Amino acid sequence: MNKFVREARLWLIGIPVLLWTLIPIYHIFLFSISTKDSAFSGRLWPEHPTLRNFGIVFREEHFYLHHFWNQIWNSLWIAAATGVITLAVATCAAFAISRLKVKGGRTVMNAALFTYFIPAAFLAVPMYKAMGTYGLLNSRWSLVLAMVTLASPYAIWVLKQASDKLPWELDEAARIDGATPLQLFRLVYLPLMLPSLVAIGTYALLLAWNEYLYAFLLLSHENTIPLAVGLGHFLSSDDSPWEILMATALVYGLPPAAIYYAFRRYMVGGLTSGAVKT
Amino acid sequence: MASVAFSKVEKSFGNTKVLHGISLDIADGEFMVLVGPSGCGKSTLLRMLAGLEDISGGNIAIDGRVVNDVESKDRDIAMVFQSYALYPHLSVRDNMGFSLRLRDEKRDVIAERVGKAARILNLDPYLDRYPRELSGGQRQRVAMGRAIVRDPKVFLFDEPLSNLDAKLRVAMRSEIKALHQRLKTTTVYVTHDQVEAMTMADRIAVMNEGRIEQLGEPLELYDRPANLFVAQFIGSPAMNVFEGLYRNNAVEALGAHWPVSGAHAAQDQRVKYGIRPEHLDLAPRGIPAEVVVVEPMGAETELLLKVEDQRITMTTHGRSSIGPGERAFLAPRLEHVHLFDAASGARL
Repeated sequence: MNKFVREARLWLIGIPVLLWTLIPIYHIFLFSISTKDSAFSGRLWPEHPTLRNFGIVFREEHFYLHHFWNQIWNSLWIAAATGVITLAVATCAAFAISRLKVKGGRTVMNAALFTYFIPAAFLAVPMYKAMGTYGLLNSRWSLVLAMVTLASPYAIWVLKQASDKLPWELDEAARIDGATPLQLFRLVYLPLMLPSLVAIGTYALLLAWNEYLYAFLLLSHENTIPLAVGLGHFLSSDDSPWEILMATALVYGLPPAAIYYAFRRYMVGGLTSGAVKT
Repeated sequence: MASVAFSKVEKSFGNTKVLHGISLDIADGEFMVLVGPSGCGKSTLLRMLAGLEDISGGNIAIDGRVVNDVESKDRDIAMVFQSYALYPHLSVRDNMGFSLRLRDEKRDVIAERVGKAARILNLDPYLDRYPRELSGGQRQRVAMGRAIVRDPKVFLFDEPLSNLDAKLRVAMRSEIKALHQRLKTTTVYVTHDQVEAMTMADRIAVMNEGRIEQLGEPLELYDRPANLFVAQFIGSPAMNVFEGLYRNNAVEALGAHWPVSGAHAAQDQRVKYGIRPEHLDLAPRGIPAEVVVVEPMGAETELLLKVEDQRITMTTHGRSSIGPGERAFLAPRLEHVHLFDAASGARL
């Protein structure tokens, strides 16, 4: 009986959450395979499902899509660069603070936490000024740097926590075995941190991939904006081509889904099992 | 192969002093065991020798060279940790060869030395496995293999058997002992288990509260403990100790006269009378006691008795027909009686 109640409760929570998540996605999918006329018919499945919208997207056959491939490339480039740079910064910081116990580590951690009191939107104008000063406006680097700035504190925080969980004896064993700090970092630390690194890399990557406000602010040229801003342009007319917008959105949503699927194993972790007796 | 010398080594963590000037010389090829209750500073001493803790005062020398400011990796030591500390992402082979790889040794040299160590430890079949695929005993052997491969001057063991079950612990104990007899490498071994210390050591340093209470060969500690702490720490079951008054070649305690032979105590001195459980006999004219518990173990029987309110344990060979609640008469063997000063605890 108890088990039944528990199961029922889980279902009661699970089903609404599932619907809450899936209905909008289904809505996007429905629009993207509908013709312009039937998109707003209110049916659960279009009368004449079609892939024509995707053809239009991929062949850049619409006014708003003239730079589609260019913009998706921008999105990829910015997301990847943000992921890589954030990882590099945060991993080194976490290693130095957690394993090498550098002085001032606590202050850095507190500062990292403190940044969360400041909303990102609050920093948008100062960031715009800063990028302008350095002449980076309208360069993809401006968005990358801004995103690294926003992602790093959280990344450092999470990686530091994960580092702290690695058994300290491994460092000591490596030191006795003759490892320099750099060898320790490369041969012991990085392999053991891999699950966390993948998770944090993915986090930073998706943060940049999904970013709209900063992209909209810092980049203005058709050739430099990422697809997120490009999608926004669809809404600039009164008669937006919803079915094409949704088809583009669906394409835009695929890479994150693929990344999550590919790395789902690392999101759980567990590589350190067998290191020390627990 | 090397000697190790601690001279007046001190260690403080903040304001807390945990080692009060330890001096200890370990000979080349010796198997030295540091034993003591937890918190006595034995692991800290070992970690200072390993270079994992700073030295607050005094000197540590390996092979005559003071290593206070020498990095761990340049001390030519190898350490086996209680938790094994195997690299989980490396196979057994790579774990064992890790230190050689860091030294940029050639592949065939690494392969040869790992192979040799694996043969010594019977790890051949497991070389390509990962630590998580091994049992506790096998992991412990890999940790030892990692130490052997380096052919260091000194082996350090930090409670290496504490995580193993009782049966495996006994087996690994003899394996480590046999390994030492084969390699004859100077070894410093830390444990809280006095049985391990007794069975493995060439010499034992019994530590308590940051000091060495006594240093000596296992049987020396057993036969002539320097003070009450060592007397009660070494030996299992522990020595019976109770307080009394020394008078006329006997100790008056628990309403009886406990015989002493050739004592060094003064008349009417307050003393602690110590007698090991195995040095008590049952005799018709002995000191009366009440049997509380009888624990037959086959080869011997352990009796828990009461003299007044003092609990006394004794072990007898073979089986005992005596039952709980009965009266027994105890006769200490004179030559095995220990007397300690009641105030200082020092041997008399």
